[in-house]
Amino acid sequence: MAIHIQGGKDIAKSSIEENIQSMPFKISADCDAKVSTYFKPLVKVNEDSIYSSSFRGHPLSGKKLAIPDGYMGVVLHETVPPGTDKVDRNFYIVNKFDSFMHWNWDKTPTLNDPIMQALHVWIDVAEALHSS
Amino acid sequence: MDTPDTGTNIISLDSLNTFLSQRDNSENAFYISTIPKMCTEAPCILGIDEAGRGPVLGPMVYGIAFCPIDKNEMLKSFECADSKALTEAKRDEIFSNMCTSTDVIGWAVDIISPNRISNSMLSLKKHSLNEVSKESAIGLIKAVAFAGVVIEHIYVDTLGSQPEKYQAYLLNIFPNYKITVAKKADSLYPIVSAASIFAKVTRDHSLQTWKFSEGFDLNHKDFGSGYPGDPVTKKFLKEYLDPVFGFPQIVRFSWSTASKILESDAYPVEWMETEDENPKSTQSTQITSFFKMDKETKKKHSFFAQMCLTNSTPF
Repeated sequence: MAIHIQGGKDIAKSSIEENIQSMPFKISADCDAKVSTYFKPLVKVNEDSIYSSSFRGHPLSGKKLAIPDGYMGVVLHETVPPGTDKVDRNFYIVNKFDSFMHWNWDKTPTLNDPIMQALHVWIDVAEALHSS
Repeated sequence: MDTPDTGTNIISLDSLNTFLSQRDNSENAFYISTIPKMCTEAPCILGIDEAGRGPVLGPMVYGIAFCPIDKNEMLKSFECADSKALTEAKRDEIFSNMCTSTDVIGWAVDIISPNRISNSMLSLKKHSLNEVSKESAIGLIKAVAFAGVVIEHIYVDTLGSQPEKYQAYLLNIFPNYKITVAKKADSLYPIVSAASIFAKVTRDHSLQTWKFSEGFDLNHKDFGSGYPGDPVTKKFLKEYLDPVFGFPQIVRFSWSTASKILESDAYPVEWMETEDENPKSTQSTQITSFFKMDKETKKKHSFFAQMCLTNSTPF
């Protein structure tokens, strides 16, 4: 099985998406969400740049994370989901982003959060490995 | 407790509505009246009561009222009684009368938004409604003390079925005051009746002036009393459910009435555990396991788990 990511040539043309929200839950839905109506009005930020909001009554604590230099965030779309795990998969780049909101459920984001570790630590390690 | 709002001086139902409609109703709000001069000079009685504990909609409001001990008799002239035993019109009238008597009676309300109630009860620590209530009552007493009122005796309507337990709890925090916690304190002590009027009228008007941040043009007749048994409230909960986000902010998500509808009518949501859920295997390793060429036994360094890294294709 191979994974193909397509549409790379058009990345430069697509606009930067600023509304990527990484949520601390899984929702069994595949549909549009009224983010501007139900979520955005609740988002607040304090003087330490820690954001707060709420989803279905659950308190959220968030931080805006930048994609490190030399990297790019992309939104992928798969038109035809695979029937089995043996076939090749095709993903298309539909958008790009250079920052996103990382949300925790009732826990202030810290460097111990896996996503922060991945962004800060893993990338350094990967660069060290590949530079040799 | 949020910082006191000093923008509006509530002296009537109109100014109460102005105060309520200006605030962000997903947040808590706090109001304290001007302090009667005599309350800073003569020992006072304080009464505390709550409104809107049970409903699935709108804020819970804690109210405090205070006046000098020797004006207790005068309180009866306001015809305060248990706020629930009075008609809405009568409560509004008493509220207006008391608001304009700021030479004798002072008051404060702590408006705890439905969003804050949900957030407390659905936090990882599962902060109960009783804890929210206690904090509110304590905050009110502290605010009144801070404002310079000479506190002599505090009367509180009970929380739960054991008033003596709650009384001991409060006395432990405020050892210098006399504190009486009683069942139905709002019908026993006029100062608690006054507090219950301030709380109840503030709650009712915050529902009447509620503006939906979701943009719905609805008034309180469209969502009812908020009591789970009210058919109008039930209909509203069903009709205004968003399958992704659930309910508008007026709803307390932590109420079973609300969570049951979410379970049946909204998309299922599975919250991620923030704690590490990989308990170390307690089974002892058998010596033969080292000879098996089993991929499973090849333990990865914990670094990969911490980084959320997994192999997508076997090497």
